[in-house]
Amino acid sequence: MKTENQKAWLFVLPVLALVAFNALVPIMTVVNYSVQETFGNNVFFWQGLDWFEQILRSDRFQAALGRQFLFTFLILIIEVPLGIIIALSMPRKGMWVPVCLVLMALPMLIPWNVVGAMWNIFTLPKIGLVGYFLNDVLGIAYDMTQNPFAAWVTIIVMDVWHWTSLVVLLSYAGLVSIPDAYYQAAKIDGASPWKVFRYIQLPKMKTVLTIAILLRFMDSFNIYTEPFVLTGGGPGNSTTLLSIDLVKIALGQFDLGPAAAMSLIYFAITLLVSWLFYTLMTKDDAQ
Amino acid sequence: MRRLAYLAAIAPGAALAQGWGNVAQQTEEKGFSWTDPLWPSFWMAWTPVTFALFCGIFGAIAIIAALEITKYRDGIERTGVFGLTTTLGDRLFITLLGSAYIFLAWLGFVGQPLWAPLGLSVVWGIFCFWKV
Repeated sequence: MKTENQKAWLFVLPVLALVAFNALVPIMTVVNYSVQETFGNNVFFWQGLDWFEQILRSDRFQAALGRQFLFTFLILIIEVPLGIIIALSMPRKGMWVPVCLVLMALPMLIPWNVVGAMWNIFTLPKIGLVGYFLNDVLGIAYDMTQNPFAAWVTIIVMDVWHWTSLVVLLSYAGLVSIPDAYYQAAKIDGASPWKVFRYIQLPKMKTVLTIAILLRFMDSFNIYTEPFVLTGGGPGNSTTLLSIDLVKIALGQFDLGPAAAMSLIYFAITLLVSWLFYTLMTKDDAQ
Repeated sequence: MRRLAYLAAIAPGAALAQGWGNVAQQTEEKGFSWTDPLWPSFWMAWTPVTFALFCGIFGAIAIIAALEITKYRDGIERTGVFGLTTTLGDRLFITLLGSAYIFLAWLGFVGQPLWAPLGLSVVWGIFCFWKV
């Protein structure tokens, strides 16, 4: 395949300059930090690849990585099907369309730290609405500040509340782009609702779903603010995800070398998984 | 008395010229080292090793970009052994990402030195450009 017009690259140049300053220069600095030791004052001592070895073999990193994968897996397995179901049940025409769209978009307009603070107050066992209702009305022992399982349920419910709308809106955009003729043809053939979904709606939503899954993967894999504000990584270390652990090492302990090595490993994982997702989901289109 | 005054005036001059505390110390000539800071007063903490690494990566990207946009390659794609449709740039990306994982895996499971994963990475790179 040959691209005819190469002039479009010129329009990408400003973005390239921006990316160079907010991504490329920092990542080169991180690579430099990851092979050196510093005690501040811009003085560095060569360390080689010791930090990488140390991080890869540390139980703390492996535990945080495990929690991170579990979190992202749960998020994707809940949000993607739920988002598709909600998108399928939304009206395609009429006055309720804008109402639904605005309602769906609302959670995404709230800043991350506010979401965390909101859910923190909302779910506190004694004073929060959910905490009070579960403990004192329903009699279910729920305390996300003490019980790791409750903390996990809370951060997952919070993320589902915050980000399912993204999957919904993208799926909905895919759904409304399907011409009526497809549905009419399916009706003539007497196709069941499942067959309509499987052979008409799902293939048409594939591109936007790829984007939705990629965005949700990257966002949930790099999530920091919401769990930090909601649980602070606790109780204990039970909700300390990779990014929270990374910030603890970098800014809490000021171990810039190990933190740089850890963030490069983190980056490599994000890069590989995103590339795999993208490649596998667009593989059929290329052939 | 006048001589003493002259001496008092001249004596600090010698010290100031070299800096206090450095009088009679000679600066040692240090040879080039790959692992010393490259520009100590600059903030990005470059060392010659990491500088060479990025020169290598950007150089490879530049060579492939130059090949791809000229008539020699012009964005030719092919389908390789994994069923992936790749251009030269894709193959470079797979090579670099795979090499990073080879090195990380070796560091995690075996440890230093890293000559074996270097060899593996070269083999992986040749395989990528040849077959993938």
